[in-house]
Amino acid sequence: MDVAGLFFDAQRSLSRPARLARDAEGLSLLVDGEEHPRRPQLRGISEKLGRLPRKLSFADGSLLEVPADAPVDGLLPRQDRFFAVAHWLEASWKYAAAAGVITILLLAVTYRYGLPLAARAAADITPPAISGMMNEGTLDTVDRFIFEPSKLPEQRTAHIRALFAGLTAPLVETQDYELLFRDGGRIGPNAIALPGGTIIITDQLIELARSDDEILGVLAHEVGHVEQRHSLQQVYRALGLSALVVLAGGDSGQLVHDAVNQAAVLQTFAYSREFEDAADKRSVAIMVSDGRNPLAFIDLLDRITAGASGSDQTTMLSTHPGAADRRAAAEAEARALGWCKDCPTDESKKGGAQ
Amino acid sequence: MNNGSGPQPTDAAAPLGPAEPFVFTGSASEYYRIWIVNLMLTVVTLGIYSAWAKVRRLRYFYGNTLLQGHGFDYHADPVRILIGRLIVVGTLMVVNILSQTSPVFLLLIVPWLVALPWFINQSLAFNAQMTSYRNLRFGFQGAYFAGLGAFVLMPLLAIISAGLLAPFSSGFRANYLGSHTRFGTAWFDTDAPLGRLYANLGATMFFLIVLAVLVFGGLMLESRLVTGGSRDDRVAIFILLGVISFYISYFLVFYAYRAGVRNIVFNTTTLDGGHRLSSTLSRRRYVWIMISNALMVLGTLGLLWPVASVRHWRYLAQSTHFHPAGPLDGFLGRESQKSSVAAAEYLDLGGFDFGL
Repeated sequence: MDVAGLFFDAQRSLSRPARLARDAEGLSLLVDGEEHPRRPQLRGISEKLGRLPRKLSFADGSLLEVPADAPVDGLLPRQDRFFAVAHWLEASWKYAAAAGVITILLLAVTYRYGLPLAARAAADITPPAISGMMNEGTLDTVDRFIFEPSKLPEQRTAHIRALFAGLTAPLVETQDYELLFRDGGRIGPNAIALPGGTIIITDQLIELARSDDEILGVLAHEVGHVEQRHSLQQVYRALGLSALVVLAGGDSGQLVHDAVNQAAVLQTFAYSREFEDAADKRSVAIMVSDGRNPLAFIDLLDRITAGASGSDQTTMLSTHPGAADRRAAAEAEARALGWCKDCPTDESKKGGAQ
Repeated sequence: MNNGSGPQPTDAAAPLGPAEPFVFTGSASEYYRIWIVNLMLTVVTLGIYSAWAKVRRLRYFYGNTLLQGHGFDYHADPVRILIGRLIVVGTLMVVNILSQTSPVFLLLIVPWLVALPWFINQSLAFNAQMTSYRNLRFGFQGAYFAGLGAFVLMPLLAIISAGLLAPFSSGFRANYLGSHTRFGTAWFDTDAPLGRLYANLGATMFFLIVLAVLVFGGLMLESRLVTGGSRDDRVAIFILLGVISFYISYFLVFYAYRAGVRNIVFNTTTLDGGHRLSSTLSRRRYVWIMISNALMVLGTLGLLWPVASVRHWRYLAQSTHFHPAGPLDGFLGRESQKSSVAAAEYLDLGGFDFGL
């Protein structure tokens, strides 16, 4: 073997033409036509990449640059084969196209299934201490900035508290629940679930309700959020999504970066709708198993939407599904669980249970 | 040396013209395949390969950027990059979750701002050390308080003054970056004159006014022409168009300003006292390339990203010249100081842009 190239001494910008040869005793270097005083000790060879010259670096910090096609691959006893494979893939449009298809499929699968699964697993292994801290922190914030103390009479809250305790009695083995009453202030009729099991219901929501089942249905919905750790999952999904964006987007420049981030925000709305659906389903199941009307809370939602002149349509910008969609989904779920609207057995079952 | 054409004559014999161009020999079609293989391996390995992908990407761009026939090179060890990235991602996750537990943790922004100059200095030092030309490494020797001024205080001042002090901030930062960078043992020096930076702001303002008239006129025309649909729909479309054109205009103005700053900064940068740099970006052309690149990438859901990337890099390279005062084979190297790969990866993953 005999390769021509450019030789750079260590720590000098001077380049000189050189030849590298291998004989029985090892490598020898001819720089500017003169034999290099010592036999070069080869330390590394840069990987193949496009048509870039290969760079042979020696132990003393000097360097020999040789053409891309120079036969230098056998010179090191252990040269990583991996990048030879990468280079071979990169050299062909056919393999590049295959790589493109695989990448798109994998990204789609990761995004659709991998991310939610990973978020769920991460939420499941998050220690309760963390959700407890998040619970306290959020409660502190909403109490300071949104809510006022409840103005409901003691009697009314005690009644709802008792109903809620009955509803969650079969569920408290795995999770503690705490029900709090607050004046909703500017957010009006609403209920929120905090990750540690605290559920806040506003006076306005209770005043708007026409039956206990309506209130309990909403509370069961919030129980669903807590049980399935939706707030933690939301945090992890958002983190995973931004990681995916960084990985796939790389250094794509500010404008592209911003646009992708806006798309990611739209995606978190979609995630939120997905969680609302799941919580609705859970609410229906809890209400049915307690012998209560699982659709009552949808009536209450309708009244809230009407009051807030909100839309009953699901759009890309909604955090919650539209009321019409929610009613249809809840009805389907209730029917699947064997519940029917005017069955007389419902009442008797309830009576029997108590 | 390129295209396997064999060794070239020694530098002493190379002609020393007044302006040596930076030449980019990469191609979009070649980089496209490198990019897609990088992306596939990154996704298959759940992101671990991203460190190797980064090194390969930068080696491709640096290696294909030639000055006097010699390419630049990027030397970072992917394993170190990976470790840096893991530290960054882990820290960001912890901070993110903590900030969910209590708003008190939002106060972390204060120590973050205090530490930012250190991060940036370490990052610049790492990236400079990993870059070489003719087997000599670059270097960056930061200073904390100058960095605090360049990256925290001056930008704040520029924002508070609604951009009126932006040239002051740009100049301070460019001078800081330029004067703390070295090639081997030879120091760069940048002395961007404030007057020219303000002239650049004026030219940008003119550009902004023209743009504002166009956008405003376009929106007015749109409100006249579109008459179908309900009133709510028309208002919604009008607002949407307004927001999008405002956003794009912001970037147009930003790039127009930046092109001017780059020219001024490069034109007032010297190496080792005698060698000079120059930059001849055309404001309009640069803005056009940046905006059309962004639209091209978004329109193809990222599939043309490598094409846009090569186009941008090539334009920057061909608009940059080196004016040697003598042969370039007399530079000497020196040992590198310590620098933090985690800081470099933090700024890289966060999309921090030095604008040069």
